[in-house]
Amino acid sequence: MPWTSETHIELSGGGKLAIVFREAEGEEMAGEAVSKASRPPNPCPDPSLPPVVKKKRNLPGTPDPEAEVIALSPRTLLATNRFPCEICGKGFQRDQNLQLHRRGHNLPWKLKQRSGKEPRKRVYVCPEESCIHHNPARALGDLTGIKKHFCRKHGEKKWKCDKCSKRYAVQSDWKAHSKTCGTREYRCDCGVLFSRRDSFITHRAFCDALAEETARVSAAYTMTNTASIGSVDSLLQDGVATPNIWKHLSPNLKPNIMDREVGQQDRHGCSSWMGHGGRLDNAFDGTTAMSEINHAGLVDSQLSWIHCNKLSSLPTSNTLKPLMGSVPSLFTSLPHRPAPDVSATALLQKAAQVGAISTTPFSGSFGPSECQNTSAGDGSVFDGLLIHEFAASNTDEVYITRTRSMLRDCLGGATRDFLGVGVQTLCQPSANGWI
Amino acid sequence: MRNTDPCHHHPSICCLLEPKDPREEEKWAAELIQECAKAIADKDSSKIRHLLWVLNELATPYGDCDQKLASYFLQALLGRAAEAGELCYTTLISAAEKQQSFVTARKVMLKFQEVSPWTTFGHVASNGAIMEAMEGESKLHIVDISNTYCTQWPTLLEALASRGSDTPHLRLTVVAMLSMGRSVMDEIGRRMVKFARLMGVPFEFHVVSIVSTLGQLTEEELGLRKDEAVAVNCVGALRRVRVEERDAFMRTLCALRPRVVTVVEEEADFTTSRGDSVACFQQCVRFYSIFLGMLEESFSPTSNEKFLLEKECSRSILGVLACNGGGVCERREKASQWCERLTEAFAPTAFNDDVIGDLEALLERYREGWSLVPAKGNAAGLYLTWKAEPVVWASAWKPIKP
Repeated sequence: MPWTSETHIELSGGGKLAIVFREAEGEEMAGEAVSKASRPPNPCPDPSLPPVVKKKRNLPGTPDPEAEVIALSPRTLLATNRFPCEICGKGFQRDQNLQLHRRGHNLPWKLKQRSGKEPRKRVYVCPEESCIHHNPARALGDLTGIKKHFCRKHGEKKWKCDKCSKRYAVQSDWKAHSKTCGTREYRCDCGVLFSRRDSFITHRAFCDALAEETARVSAAYTMTNTASIGSVDSLLQDGVATPNIWKHLSPNLKPNIMDREVGQQDRHGCSSWMGHGGRLDNAFDGTTAMSEINHAGLVDSQLSWIHCNKLSSLPTSNTLKPLMGSVPSLFTSLPHRPAPDVSATALLQKAAQVGAISTTPFSGSFGPSECQNTSAGDGSVFDGLLIHEFAASNTDEVYITRTRSMLRDCLGGATRDFLGVGVQTLCQPSANGWI
Repeated sequence: MRNTDPCHHHPSICCLLEPKDPREEEKWAAELIQECAKAIADKDSSKIRHLLWVLNELATPYGDCDQKLASYFLQALLGRAAEAGELCYTTLISAAEKQQSFVTARKVMLKFQEVSPWTTFGHVASNGAIMEAMEGESKLHIVDISNTYCTQWPTLLEALASRGSDTPHLRLTVVAMLSMGRSVMDEIGRRMVKFARLMGVPFEFHVVSIVSTLGQLTEEELGLRKDEAVAVNCVGALRRVRVEERDAFMRTLCALRPRVVTVVEEEADFTTSRGDSVACFQQCVRFYSIFLGMLEESFSPTSNEKFLLEKECSRSILGVLACNGGGVCERREKASQWCERLTEAFAPTAFNDDVIGDLEALLERYREGWSLVPAKGNAAGLYLTWKAEPVVWASAWKPIKP
């Protein structure tokens, strides 16, 4: 059969499509194996902050019942410059700050003394009616607190982080965030480093370091390694089969040989769209009854058809596995048998898979575009402690209690850091736990 | 003489004779597939044969986007022609399920989320809506009908843990979809339970395998309790409900008396056109070429995860084009269509500013090309757009008070 190098198709919308077939210049395998992260290692921030002695705080929104309830207006709460300097016009939130500023202008200044007696405790309610803190029973204990609350929750978010576009209503929140945005890193027990909190958390939840002890992790890793490589190859077989079938049928489907009429048998399914004189029958050897198609869909028919044809004459493309020695099926996955010559693509796919696995020490972590591998042992003593504790303890409950008490000791109890990162949380976690 | 040497055969393509936009040269697969669909509708057998031959010559799942598209559509055409669509689909699904392990599922999902916001967009939006709706509640029950293997929940657990006031009790009931193997779901459950313990969130996990079709899910199967606040999370779920059962499904959801229903779907219409194969093909080609292009640009070229996602894509195409009824359904609808159905029993709620901020921050972390666009007109919610095309839609709904 002469090899058609060009074919034309009339488009129903008008115009023509010309398909030109060119021999490809060898196998161009684009891409390289998954590359390792090239970021230089960042030192883990020192988690051993000195414990801070803090005044005992009530839970927010649980005020002392004896306190005086103050309701300030939104204008008052949002006002930032209630105390302006008469010389330069600079505004201050508090009178004390203004007075100190006046010293700079060599103006007379006076700081109010704190009155000797213990003033009656004041609590503040939020003017926003739908807010939970509008209720005096949930009032907040200090003026700065209610101002910040009102601004954050009900105010306009004027301050925007230029690195991540997170918005803030309170300038100090924004400043605090900007300092740490993009600089914080999270390390999982398995050793992988993350720059994004969300990916760290999601990874951590499914990480093998969380679920199993170290010894079991390595065993599981070797098992899954072989299992997944095996599956890649059978996947390749799967995906490849359809074009295979058509390729074998193609000599008979080519437009130039149209006129081979074979007896019009009732081809179940095929005649419905092929019209009469379904040419599909040409592709099938006499020995393969079309009735085999009726059985179990197309599966058996393909296989028997494939066997019936002379396997040696089957054309194979550079991207297909040869049929000899292995029987690809479109619809079922058969046990994998290594084929005599594996295609370059399959090899590359395999390489990519193995490459990805071998860059990570544990199966719990994955190929790095933003992560970096460090062995689980180094880094903070704190992290090391966690891992050893985990391996040693038999019950998760013990693990949790120990973790908590260690955390409390290291971080002064002010922040909840359950992830063993050892990093002080400086900004408010968002509603979603993002950033 | 045809050269049978494996290294020499693969043909490349192609040129348009008509003076058209030079970019069109790249879109030959869409053209050919469309023509083929038309020829099938017209029962023009010689044209069908010609086109199938050409497609077959050019198709390969290892090539560029056009070649992949050609390959998947060819598979769908085969299934359709042999009227073996459902069988093919279910066989492919069970084959995939057998090969799937917790490790591979995790790998694919996490890698996908690392390189593309396709799924994380919906997660962030939904979690934000859930957190807001459940504010002040102490017993939460989330009914999760999604196709993202619970990767949505760790960040929610963390948010619950750091909420400040008392940490609520969370019950998570996952309705397992067709392709999610039991062993995988069990392992996921074990990890979730351990993680929740680490977070200090009292937690229960339960998997429900659907007895019949998703559209016939009943309240009993979910095991709701009286004192809990319910949220229903549907990510890529509504499209799996058979078209004729969709309205009833909305009513079923409403009957659960949820505080909020979060819906995330892919923006495409394969439903209106289901009677008209040519239009359906057109919608499919359009959507899947965007999706494949996005995968191509997001992953590295030899990524195994990308390959597995593409396989899933090819199954999906088969499901849409070659399956009519039975247990299989992947007929997507656009936001405006879903909204029409949902407004029967629900009213939309807007995402608050914090959530919008989180979504914008999320998109910043990925490559160029993604953005957030609020829905307009008779659709509520938000779109994730890829190269200005809306691709994913996220929305939140509250039941209309009776």
